[in-house]
Amino acid sequence: MKSKQATFILAMGLACTLVAWGKPLAVIGLFVVSGMAVGSLYALGGVGLVVLYRTTGVLNFASGAMGAAGVMLAWQLGQWGWYEPMTWVAGLALATGLSLFYGRLIAPHLAARDTVVKAVATLGFALIVLGATSFVWDDDVRSFTLPSDQMAIRLLGLRVTVTRLIVFLTTVALVIGIWVYLEHTRMGLQMRALANDRHISSLIGVRILKVETIAWGMAGFIAGFTGLMFGDLVRLEPNIITFVVIPSIAAAICGRLDSLGMVLIGGLFIGVLESLLTLSPWLKSVRTVAPFVVAIAMLVLLQSGNRLLFGRDE
Amino acid sequence: MKPRVTFGTAMLLMAAAAIMAFLPMILGGQWIKILTSAVCFSIAAAGAGFMYARLGMVSLAQVGLMGVGGWVVLRLNHGFDWPFEINLAIAAAVTTVFGWVLALPALRMRGLYLALITLMAASGLEIVFSTFRFPNGGEGFWGVLPSVAAPFRRPLLAQSDADYLRYVIGMLVLGFAVIEWHRQSAPGRAWAMIRRSEAAAMSSGVSVVYYKAWAFGLSGLLAGTAGGLLAGALGLLDPATFRASESIMLFALAVVGGARFWLGAVLAGVLYRVLPGLFNNWGWDADLTLVFFGAALLHALMTAPDGIAGQIHGLLRGRGGQKS
Repeated sequence: MKSKQATFILAMGLACTLVAWGKPLAVIGLFVVSGMAVGSLYALGGVGLVVLYRTTGVLNFASGAMGAAGVMLAWQLGQWGWYEPMTWVAGLALATGLSLFYGRLIAPHLAARDTVVKAVATLGFALIVLGATSFVWDDDVRSFTLPSDQMAIRLLGLRVTVTRLIVFLTTVALVIGIWVYLEHTRMGLQMRALANDRHISSLIGVRILKVETIAWGMAGFIAGFTGLMFGDLVRLEPNIITFVVIPSIAAAICGRLDSLGMVLIGGLFIGVLESLLTLSPWLKSVRTVAPFVVAIAMLVLLQSGNRLLFGRDE
Repeated sequence: MKPRVTFGTAMLLMAAAAIMAFLPMILGGQWIKILTSAVCFSIAAAGAGFMYARLGMVSLAQVGLMGVGGWVVLRLNHGFDWPFEINLAIAAAVTTVFGWVLALPALRMRGLYLALITLMAASGLEIVFSTFRFPNGGEGFWGVLPSVAAPFRRPLLAQSDADYLRYVIGMLVLGFAVIEWHRQSAPGRAWAMIRRSEAAAMSSGVSVVYYKAWAFGLSGLLAGTAGGLLAGALGLLDPATFRASESIMLFALAVVGGARFWLGAVLAGVLYRVLPGLFNNWGWDADLTLVFFGAALLHALMTAPDGIAGQIHGLLRGRGGQKS
């Protein structure tokens, strides 16, 4: 598997170089930095998906919808003049709450089913949350801003807002933090045990519901945070934020739904490639295809040599 | 087994004949349009449904493939003077090949892998459609005019809207017949075996890769036909119809309707196209249909694996709902 990861990194590096070939270095720097910002958003969403998938075997299509509901609530409370940090807490709490609701009340009924059925079920929940969110907040032009949008630093000639910096640093910190948590704490050990075999874990005394509840809570919190950041950086529209889960899945695929480090690297590479494609006259207009093409290429690479299956599929 | 199939087929044919004869007469112009597109989506849903029911494969690119079919039909319509049927046949052939290409990386995959690769393809297609749009009679390969659209030639048999609805219903019945025929011949037996156990199928000499690709091709064929027929119904296509989220929705509804039954595909198309219209008529927010669809999907997955159609079948046979 290591060799495939290396192949992937090499291929992505090569693709980026090819697209950027012959352009002045300053321009490339500009696009790389802006690509990293988008890429870390993809990676952030992907990390949340992988944490949950590794523990419970559920690929959560609803994470985008949960984040969308959270950021819309935060916006609404802001409109009513709440103290800003309170609105963020409320948004995060709503996303976490929705995730816990699903994880505690609905997911256990499907625990014994195929991975794909579990994933499709979360689609149902995504539709419910999306429908309710867009029912409450009709189509309208809104914007959600954080105070950190005003602050900025200069990086390789590009003005980078502190919000983007926060996204990037949070993603890196999450990857490291979750890795340490899974490898070096008792709860992390139990999560990994659960991921290997739910049934046997319960026989040797792992408190399945407790462990799963924590995982759903973490995933919901990350979904809420991703939603807030998307609402601020991209667009505040439930429909769009809900289906941003798709490029996040693309980033997660780069890590085989398993390796958090690779999710981060994959997400960043996707963002950078997408941004660099702006330089190409032919591919400029379809550059947002990048995440999906990369994900398909990664899937093909993973299944070559007759060894497929995500870490824990089957 | 045999008599039940005959009974079901007879019922389907009778229902289709009655609907084809009377329904277009009693409906207003707007509803004929809505029903025509509902039937088109039923054809596509039949493809997604049969892959899920027969092979447990989740395809989340069905509406995207419809877009490919629609694109080809529009392209040929504005590029050449061929009759509609030939354009439709070519479109169906193209999406069949598209289905195979999509299946290639997925051949040795199962479950989640397959769902994800189709989802990625659908998202990619969404962007291609919204960038290049659909041909409407302009110059060049992409053939897009900024505003007005050139006329679309409908089939000779079905020039009016009401006749076109009959034509599309006929195609739907044909689609069901093709699926049923497959189910009862060699591919159907192979699929049943693969569904039970791939290892067992392989060891008894069934080529798993071949028959999986076949299923993909058939599903692509149905999607392409559906897309071409939709292009014929509307005369032009809008990229917003073929978003990845629509593919997801259609798959969800195919499960809600009941993937194992032809009635399920019909219900999926009706729910997909007619229900939002009804909600609008009743003055309810169409967003609420999403909530309803989502809840229905969860319900179908948890307690009613055969969907609404399965429950209707159960009722008809006096058992009050089917257990899986």
